[in-house]
Amino acid sequence: MAWGLALIGVAAVAPLVLPVFLVTTATEVMILALFALSLDLLVGYTGLDSFGHAAAYGLGAYTASLLLLHAGSPLPVAVGLAAAATALVAVPMGWLCTRTTGVSFAMLTLAFAQLLYAVAYKWQSVTGGSDGLAGVPRMAGPFGVTWFTSRTGYYYLVAVCLAASYAFCRAFVASPVGTTLLAIRDHERKAEALGYNARAYKLAAFVAASFFGGLAGALYAPFAGFASPELFFWIVSGQVLIMVIVGGSGTLIGPMFGAAFFLLLEHYLSAVTDSWALVLGLIFIAVVIFVPEGLYGLVRRRPPAVARSRPAPEREHGQPVP
Amino acid sequence: MSPIAFLLTQGLNALALGALLFFISIGLTLIFGIMRIVNFAHGALYMLGAYAGFTLAAGTGHYWTALVAAPVLVAAVGLALEFTVLRPLYRREPGAFLLVTFGLALVIGEAIRLAWGPEPRRLAIPAVLGGSVSVAGEPFPVYRLFLAGFGLAMVLALWQFLERSRLGLLIRATAQNAEMVHVLGVNVRWVRAGVFALGCGLAALGGVLATPLVTAYLGMGVNVIVEAFVIVIIGGMGSFLGSVVGSLLVGVVQTFGNFYLPDSALAAIYLAMIAVLVWRPRGLFGREE
Amino acid sequence: MTRHDRVSRRTFLTTGAAAVAAAGAPGLRRRAWAQGGGPIRIGVPTAITGTWAALGAQVVRTCKLFAEEVKERGVLGRPVEFLFDDTQGNPANCVRKAQEMVERHKVNLFTGIMASSEALAVSAKLGEWSALFISSINGAGELTAEKFVPNFFRANTSGPMGARTIALYLQDAPQKTFYAIGLDYAWGHSSVAVFEKEIQRSGKEFVGKVFAPTGTKDYSTYITRIRQAAPDALYVAMTGDDATAFYQQAAQFRLGEKIQMVTELVDILNLKPAGDATLGLIGSSRYSFTYDSPENRAFVQRFQKVVQEAPDTFDGEQYQALQVLVRGIEKARSTETAALVKALEGLEVTSVKGRIVMRECDHQAAQQGFVVKAVRRAGIPHPIPEVIKTYPAEAVTPPCRKSSYS
Repeated sequence: MAWGLALIGVAAVAPLVLPVFLVTTATEVMILALFALSLDLLVGYTGLDSFGHAAAYGLGAYTASLLLLHAGSPLPVAVGLAAAATALVAVPMGWLCTRTTGVSFAMLTLAFAQLLYAVAYKWQSVTGGSDGLAGVPRMAGPFGVTWFTSRTGYYYLVAVCLAASYAFCRAFVASPVGTTLLAIRDHERKAEALGYNARAYKLAAFVAASFFGGLAGALYAPFAGFASPELFFWIVSGQVLIMVIVGGSGTLIGPMFGAAFFLLLEHYLSAVTDSWALVLGLIFIAVVIFVPEGLYGLVRRRPPAVARSRPAPEREHGQPVP
Repeated sequence: MSPIAFLLTQGLNALALGALLFFISIGLTLIFGIMRIVNFAHGALYMLGAYAGFTLAAGTGHYWTALVAAPVLVAAVGLALEFTVLRPLYRREPGAFLLVTFGLALVIGEAIRLAWGPEPRRLAIPAVLGGSVSVAGEPFPVYRLFLAGFGLAMVLALWQFLERSRLGLLIRATAQNAEMVHVLGVNVRWVRAGVFALGCGLAALGGVLATPLVTAYLGMGVNVIVEAFVIVIIGGMGSFLGSVVGSLLVGVVQTFGNFYLPDSALAAIYLAMIAVLVWRPRGLFGREE
Repeated sequence: MTRHDRVSRRTFLTTGAAAVAAAGAPGLRRRAWAQGGGPIRIGVPTAITGTWAALGAQVVRTCKLFAEEVKERGVLGRPVEFLFDDTQGNPANCVRKAQEMVERHKVNLFTGIMASSEALAVSAKLGEWSALFISSINGAGELTAEKFVPNFFRANTSGPMGARTIALYLQDAPQKTFYAIGLDYAWGHSSVAVFEKEIQRSGKEFVGKVFAPTGTKDYSTYITRIRQAAPDALYVAMTGDDATAFYQQAAQFRLGEKIQMVTELVDILNLKPAGDATLGLIGSSRYSFTYDSPENRAFVQRFQKVVQEAPDTFDGEQYQALQVLVRGIEKARSTETAALVKALEGLEVTSVKGRIVMRECDHQAAQQGFVVKAVRRAGIPHPIPEVIKTYPAEAVTPPCRKSSYS
């Protein structure tokens, strides 16, 4: 708890002492941390490796952009509505996707994200087509509140959203729903035999993950000032999955580290060398080989209480061979 | 164009595209079948095959040398990768493979940019395949007929290999129950390494065959990898027959779909995949595990 | 701070002896800025890796060549520095890199941005950053029309201008019916739309159009569509690897035997890998090294000496954009954004593409339109774009703040 309070203290003081460009970078890191955190609900706690989480990010970003550009909604209202709308769309999508598990689940989620990419690309009149929506404003209000429109203010808005989301996710995974999800992840048939409707629980996790993923996207659009189809693209889904794995799935904190690691590494490496991809690739390989439990494991050096070493007995990947 | 001429031309187009897609996806499905890993570096290896093919053809002056030697070279690269980075991971979770193969894709892609530069590279069609024949009164490239024919031949050859040969039997047995094969005294490691190399070689073959159509360029790996996944999933992960049917199906969907509904070109294959997976969650020919 | 310094040294191409000395001592450099006499820094967030890398390479090499040229005298006596960074052609990366250039490296001048989605995202931010962006590549008409912002300038020929040029050329051509294939993104759509209108206005028939997504492997089904429409000529609005793939496959289907192919862009980048498949191709060109003028001859000579090959489309366009920018800075006697905007408006420059005027009303550079033909030339192993006709700026530049000509 002590280090948690310390972290909050550091985050609160940071924008007052950091140079402005680092405040901007820190804001984007926190948005991606929220995005990765949301995916961990699925990957780490439900055992569903989504390969289409960009769907939530893009939906959040586009919904918020449209509300800010055309409806003149105050920023907090637009962001909240966008996250809610994403969760709503996630219900039918999740209902179809949770029919499957493993690689098929990954590919179904990918298919939906790519469909949304196609919609964003082709529905020119609403989404701006391949150009996307640029000039997304940070609308003030409600009640004349404007503090979040500045660079520092926006940093605090994102920080508060991230902290609140983390607190909610922590409570969620510790709740009876969360523990049931873990049981389903590890022993689905056993859990169903005990009378749990596994699919309903998975759907709940899918919708929750989409809500927070949508929130991250909704915060991104007014931060960067645009939303474009690339936000839906499978590469974004792949990158956020990598953030979760690099950081350590099933820990909530690990994926946030992973997001910071991924973004900062790519950003600074590409400033130093044109061959940044080469170095980044080698680092990923090294992380897998030398830090099997993820970066967060480096800090803790003992496996987190809920993580387990996959493959679990019922997962289709399990083929223990000498 | 009469309806029959139209159907004939488009049918041949679909067949040629299906063959190309088969070369791109079969390696992925073989590797998944036996190793249970999703190889993200597949697109990069396809690209490596294309560039290696360009250099070999330019160096030797022979397309056919490139067609044989580039896949062999890339298979050797695959073997080396299996030995160094994949082998330590077999007891690990699928996320580890995802991360490692994603990392490999980045490394290979950048290595190609460093070695060949950013400009696209051309691989000319050999004279014997270079012309065109008249199909329903319109010229049709011989190279596309060659693609279709070669695709069919490779389907039959690989099928015979998997069904009839002792090695093929081992591969199928390992895919079904690796532990049993191990108990029977077969070195499963070598089977896995061999299949990984074979899969990489086939990806490279796809790259060499695609180059006369699209040239070798830096984005080509990214442009095929998801399409290859879709085919493999539609057919059923790890199923040889599934990969054949999936390639043809996607070939037909793209050829005819893009003709009648060009605006759906981005979405067509994903709609097809959703339809198949909702109907059969394990794909058309996927096994219950 | 160590990392900061290393990053700076790698990223900056520093010119001028004073700047080289200063680069080793960040403290010095910072003091120099405070006095307002430090280096002029130009941000180039462009695609160094990824699908657009070949075009990005043209931008980078031309900026380096330009830096080398002004090394001795500087601009306003100040050295010029370019900051290159890789966006991979993705707007999210582009905004992040550009914003860091503004906030960290105090950049207020941008050029060389690749995709139109990147250009639009950056454009929308220019006011907030009080920065200026002079486009060398972006073709989408809307950037100087519906989506005009005061700090955006376009030195290059836009998509609509290219389409208009080739349409003018075709007025006198024997072909009567036209079909169009474009890349399915903003530039392709805006270019095809202009071409369609212009063709209809000249009393000819436009029989259909189709758009192919970027990264399409197989164009056979599009070729079947084109054949069914049986036009006299096909207008192609494609670029990069997609254009190369299309030309190769069209040649394999012998599409060009019955149908004259015309295009909005003729790049050496396409002519080289597609080879003889492109011989006879007619198109408008944003820049061709064969354009005959003293300025261009001198540029081509210098370029060939350094790069060992002829400059391509975006070499010429990037060079022109830098010429315009520097003349603007000299006129303003300042790099301050507001002063520079004022100086650029109405600025007249004789560049490698001839005389151009940066229009005050929409910040589009009014300039000649070139029509070129892919031909063989002794000593060059691939077809080259040879200028066969030029149209005056008044004929090809659209009305102010418009992306069409009606």
